[in-house]
Amino acid sequence: MIKFEQVSKTYPGGFQALTNVSFHLEPGEMAFLTGHSGAGKSTLLKLISMMERPTAGRVMINGHDLKRINSRQIPYARRDIGMIFQDHRLLMDKTVFDNVALPLLIEGYSMQEARKRVHAALEKVGLGDKVRHYPMMLSGGEQQRVGIARAVVNKPPLLLADEPTGNLDPKLSMEIIKLFEDFNRVGVSVLIATHDLGLIARLRYRTLTLRDGRMINDGLQES
Amino acid sequence: MSLLFRSRQQGAQQVNISGFRRFVMFWVHNVQQAVASLGELARYPMASLMTMAVLGLSLTLPATLYVVVKNTEAIGADWQHASEITLFLRKDLSQQEVSTFHKRLSLSNDIESVRWIDKNEALQEFRESSGFGEALDALTNNPLPDVLLVLPVANKRGTTQAQQLAQQLRNEREVEQVRLDLDWLQRLEALLNLVRDGLLALAALLCIAVVLIVGNTIRLNINSKRDEIMVMKLVGATDGYIQRPFLYTGVWYGFVGGLIAWLATAVMILWISGAVTDISELYESQFTLVGLTFNEMLVLWLLAIGLGLLGSYIAVRKHVRTIEPQ
Repeated sequence: MIKFEQVSKTYPGGFQALTNVSFHLEPGEMAFLTGHSGAGKSTLLKLISMMERPTAGRVMINGHDLKRINSRQIPYARRDIGMIFQDHRLLMDKTVFDNVALPLLIEGYSMQEARKRVHAALEKVGLGDKVRHYPMMLSGGEQQRVGIARAVVNKPPLLLADEPTGNLDPKLSMEIIKLFEDFNRVGVSVLIATHDLGLIARLRYRTLTLRDGRMINDGLQES
Repeated sequence: MSLLFRSRQQGAQQVNISGFRRFVMFWVHNVQQAVASLGELARYPMASLMTMAVLGLSLTLPATLYVVVKNTEAIGADWQHASEITLFLRKDLSQQEVSTFHKRLSLSNDIESVRWIDKNEALQEFRESSGFGEALDALTNNPLPDVLLVLPVANKRGTTQAQQLAQQLRNEREVEQVRLDLDWLQRLEALLNLVRDGLLALAALLCIAVVLIVGNTIRLNINSKRDEIMVMKLVGATDGYIQRPFLYTGVWYGFVGGLIAWLATAVMILWISGAVTDISELYESQFTLVGLTFNEMLVLWLLAIGLGLLGSYIAVRKHVRTIEPQ
């Protein structure tokens, strides 16, 4: 599903965020990406979502070299990737419904079709009754779940999450992870970047570990 | 078709929508976005109205000047005797010869009418009105020639055609002297040309200003929606999709700005027409200022909308692309 081959990323100014990173995430796999702050977790996710381009090496999704995807095609490629952020990036002046419907309207769904799917997605994350609310009126955990609903509403085969539980207490974090497990169970590949080691320890998923931009453990060696 | 996942069907294809319905949906979405842009503008009515007013009032000045030039041209064209040619005939001609010449000219295709001022009548009139009566009595014969006032047909009244005609008439045996008083007409025409050129330059400058103002307003709009644009790009919106509401905003600026331009031009013309009526009364003529015709109003409106669209297009091209999610 995701394949990194000797990927390095140097930011303008000389900071080397990733050095010779290689790993392969199988289709339908769920994995954690961990490492201390600044280890390169976010950079790695940004390379997958094409917010950044690698300085060297190859990033492949489903066998497609991302180098071949030009800037005009990026929007279409991103529609295959559901993204979830620590700060959830919701539009605060739009209702929960409008936030979740955004990817569908961008893809050209009719309003009726979009409404069905939005309700289904919100139902799935347990916010079926908050459709008309504004994000401000929701708790942190609920806001994060709206973000998840938005990421999965168009049923992408790949989910990326950057510190999805960063601001949540352990109980809420666990609920969020349970949601990801649900999606993973129906075949969605999930990659979750987190430094919440306690959370990782409680779950037995493959864990990729970064340190200073190098992959020190791709989760396959020891086990 | 999904880019990364061949087997995955996306969006509109997935629900199997026909081409026709997709075409309809495209327009429905456009209308929705247009209405949404209008709603967005209505959220900040003062700011929106100010931009629209700038656009409208900028177009009012050239529009009003255009009306003035148009009317002045109409005066120039209306002036019947503008290119009247005065023929002073040789004094040795008999009454009979003058009469024949008069008839001959009247039959010419280039000439609409000829008025004959008999030299004896002219002397009589001069004697009565000038107060030189006694001095004239001292003369043994009439010093005045017979005069023919020639009015060319309508399409020969322009300065060059009238001059050609005058040249022809100068070659006639009976004619002693030809006078064509075109100086003031030429001056009026030159003046009109100056105003017209000035008007064009002014209109061009104001149009550029309008484009820049709209562009800048849209740029500020885009910047204030930076976060929203980033999120949209993250979930797969193309630049075209993001741009559309801003383009509609520009169109709305032009739409309402054009209406403001109409209104303001009408008020300006009403304002001027009072003074124009005063002047025309002094000249004892019946002249009323003609405002913008329906077609001209339409052109003004389309121009306003076009400028709004152009301004927003420039801003959108430049700025939407530079906003990238981080």
